[in-house]
Amino acid sequence: MEPIITWLANLLANVSWWPWPAPPSAAIIIWVVYGLFIAFGIAPLAMIVLTWLERKIIARIQDRIGPNMAGPFGWLQAVADAIKMLTKEDTTPAGADRIPFNLGPGLIAVSAVLVFAVIPLAPGIIGSDLNIGIFYVVAVGSFGVLGTLMAGWSSNNKYALLGAFRAVAQLVSYEIPMAISLITVAVVAGSMSTLTIIHNQAVANGGWYIVAMPITFLVFFLAGMAETNRSPFDLLEADSEIVAGFHVEYSGMKYAMVMIGEYVHMLALAGLSATIFLGGWRGPFVEQLYNAVPILGGLLGLVYFLAKVLLFIFVMMWFRGTLPRFRIDQLLDFGWKFLTPLSLFNLLTSAFVVKLFQPAGTAGVALPAGPLAGFGGLGLTSALLISNLLVAFIASLAVRSLARRSRGNVLKAVAGVEG
Amino acid sequence: MTNITTEKLKTRFPDAVLGVESFKGETTVTLKADSLLETARFLRDDPDLQYNLLLDVYGMDRHRLGLSPRFAAQYELFSIPKNRRIRLNVPIAGPQAGNGALPKIDSVTGVWPTANWLERETYDLMGIEFAGHPWLHRIMMPRNWVGHPLRKDYPLGGEPVNFSFDKDNPRFAHLGKQIMAGPSFHSELAEEMDEEGHLIINMGPQHPATHGVLRLAVELDGERVVKIQPELGYLHSGFEKIGENRRYEQFIPYCDRLDYLAPMSNNLGYVMTVERLLDVDVPQQAQYARILLVELQRIASHLVWLGTHAMDVSGTIHALLMYAFNWREKILDIFEMVCGARMTTSYFCVGGLRWPLPGAFQDAVRHFLTGFYPDGINEFEGMITNNPIWKSRLQEVGYLSAEQAIALGVTGPMLRGSGLAFDLRKAQPYSGYDRFDFDVPTSDRGDSYGRYLVRMEEMRQSVRIVEQVLNKLKPGGPHKTSDRKVVLPPREEISTSMEALIHHFKLVTEGFKPPKGQVYGLIENPKGILGFGVVSDGSAVPHRLRMRWPSFVNLQATDTMARGGLLSDIVTIIGSIDIVLGEVDR
Repeated sequence: MEPIITWLANLLANVSWWPWPAPPSAAIIIWVVYGLFIAFGIAPLAMIVLTWLERKIIARIQDRIGPNMAGPFGWLQAVADAIKMLTKEDTTPAGADRIPFNLGPGLIAVSAVLVFAVIPLAPGIIGSDLNIGIFYVVAVGSFGVLGTLMAGWSSNNKYALLGAFRAVAQLVSYEIPMAISLITVAVVAGSMSTLTIIHNQAVANGGWYIVAMPITFLVFFLAGMAETNRSPFDLLEADSEIVAGFHVEYSGMKYAMVMIGEYVHMLALAGLSATIFLGGWRGPFVEQLYNAVPILGGLLGLVYFLAKVLLFIFVMMWFRGTLPRFRIDQLLDFGWKFLTPLSLFNLLTSAFVVKLFQPAGTAGVALPAGPLAGFGGLGLTSALLISNLLVAFIASLAVRSLARRSRGNVLKAVAGVEG
Repeated sequence: MTNITTEKLKTRFPDAVLGVESFKGETTVTLKADSLLETARFLRDDPDLQYNLLLDVYGMDRHRLGLSPRFAAQYELFSIPKNRRIRLNVPIAGPQAGNGALPKIDSVTGVWPTANWLERETYDLMGIEFAGHPWLHRIMMPRNWVGHPLRKDYPLGGEPVNFSFDKDNPRFAHLGKQIMAGPSFHSELAEEMDEEGHLIINMGPQHPATHGVLRLAVELDGERVVKIQPELGYLHSGFEKIGENRRYEQFIPYCDRLDYLAPMSNNLGYVMTVERLLDVDVPQQAQYARILLVELQRIASHLVWLGTHAMDVSGTIHALLMYAFNWREKILDIFEMVCGARMTTSYFCVGGLRWPLPGAFQDAVRHFLTGFYPDGINEFEGMITNNPIWKSRLQEVGYLSAEQAIALGVTGPMLRGSGLAFDLRKAQPYSGYDRFDFDVPTSDRGDSYGRYLVRMEEMRQSVRIVEQVLNKLKPGGPHKTSDRKVVLPPREEISTSMEALIHHFKLVTEGFKPPKGQVYGLIENPKGILGFGVVSDGSAVPHRLRMRWPSFVNLQATDTMARGGLLSDIVTIIGSIDIVLGEVDR
């Protein structure tokens, strides 16, 4: 990033037809605006690519071919769909509350795009290296709920209202395990900055966090799936129950915005998972190459990053193709009674392990080194892995022993009285 | 005659029994209308009788039969513990049509709750009023319909068809405004619903999970279901009336269009009923072929159920639907090979099969079986039977106890899913089912998961039957009865025999004429018990053609099953009832 901005500043300083000397900040402004264009340009592009990918993957799972007419392998189909959506009539129901109705899809899409600000795409390429990066992700992610709620509420449709009910219940409750698992990561990394997190996942520092914290990863990914409203957690738009839920009344471009929001959210979740748990752009030879030729190293990093992102996206599509959908009470049970306690417990054990292995004085205040600090990053990783597995084992025991209070008894009682 | 039912009825109610009639092995007891309820309770509760299953209620307009009084209500009863049947015929003295009032009879909903919809239908189509019915409204025809279509004096045809989308017709000018300005149109169903405190939503007529144009008015407290009111009739096309204006033979293709997922079974039910009326002997090989095709049809129907059920519950695993349709495709290919049609087969005719089985038939079926069993079924089971999400969505959802199920008249896999091993193929074997070895799968869970397990096992049992039939089936031999009064003579005979030519002429121009009488044929369809009631007045056209379609009766249980559950459970419940709107609305 630095070399590019320097290059831009030099370029601006040497423009012959510009009468005034360009301030040094101009280069930064241009760079930021450029970045914004890229980010918001990527959103529709991502939707096009991902819908095509999803249709192909789901088709293969379902023993079909998928789109194959428009263009080679049907990849123009998604483009055609995008054009169709742009040209469709944009309807607003007569009884709708216009302002939130029109704002909702925008908020959904924007909240998803904003997450990319803190995701390092390649070495040296990051929107903004916030020192509260992870906190920012949670904060930005939660205002997408607002968009969903606005869309569902303002449509003045009963199915949309039910979708909005579910949105609030689901998205709010799954934010908690997600945030707690992110805190666990922050505790282990000693920072909330995504760059530091990637730095700490170097092999010398202990390697990828998915190895050290598989349970944290699982909680984060599952909660993230619920946050992105993907199957099997797609209750907000459960098509066989509440038709399309909160976006049932949308058409044309506004519908496309909702879809963009969904797919970019998916991309953001995959990007975050890759960054936080799979070491982001890290891979063989990236750093060496980056130090020698920054452009090539950056490209290689981007390739690694995209590969990891695609892996997660494939997993999400795979889930969608094979898993039935939860029911709302089961979904909330799963969130509140399983994921939240699990993530809290996991946070405690991880913090304890980190305290043992902490090297001296890292976080501003002078901290004494942990008693086992001498084992270094790899020691921390293996200790975390062991503690995670222990947590998983205890959780599975707990689930087995705690008999789930059966809803069926209530149902049978009701049926008995009514019948 | 040593019929315990009639003996007991006669001793207990000497005044109520007006007459006992026996025809083709079926007993009809004519009762006085006043003592219907008393008799009904006795029939249900007496330990020697136990007629716990009310199969059907229908009205008869005996206008042209020359009987008086004009209307009669008919009740088809079945005793599951005693495996016996009886028909109650209750003539209703009352005001004739024309002077406004309707003939009136007591409702038996208090004795058999399943009578609810059946009586509503009779009221709607035949114009018989049931006193004491909880909610007597039209069920098939629109609320504002005039007249009762199944009455014999109801005009047929000749009325102009008014298309409400004809914008230039001033008669419909008000409709546009009404549609745009009106409130959401649930008001007529919601008479007993709490509109202030609860959310009332319409699931359907256009809803992805209602399998057609079914409309459920659902009263919700948050996501919890308080009450469901199904609204039917969107697809009503008057099949019974059609049947009463077609010759016996001509109605066969109409059967295909009712439960369009099981045309072979529907054909068999109808054809067997008419054959019983005619006393036709069907050749052994034709009977075997019928069983084979009907069992294949059962598999095909269950496959569609499995795919759509999985799709409803999951929303996104269309994978199962695609796999299920893949196998069904192969069954349909066999049907196509047999008769040229895939869905509207009309392959069975009165007296046998319409055409002989093609030469490669057995090989084709064997080929299908080797792929489908056990690998195909195991693949489905492997995908969902033990899937925790699938289990949690189905288990303890839509609970129906055996008593409730019988009271509601639920039959087929739903009844067996509630733990009662009642299958007509075992209880009253027809078409030679008793020669084959198979089990009746049951599950005492009583919930959607139990019904799921039962249907999966039923597919296995069907495969078992098909395999046994294949071993007994021999190519060649007659595929139809040789009774020239019923089936057309072969082509070559017409050119050589005068008699054959006459038979051909008579059959084509007039059709066969069964003797006077009333029969009610039952068959175990994939979805439950299918019944055909035929009343013959000696002509080539049935005087009354009544159909009992399992989906219609089973759908009645929705409210009982869904109350107290969640909105998502409705989808599971509809899926596990396995309805086909073609036969619900007929």
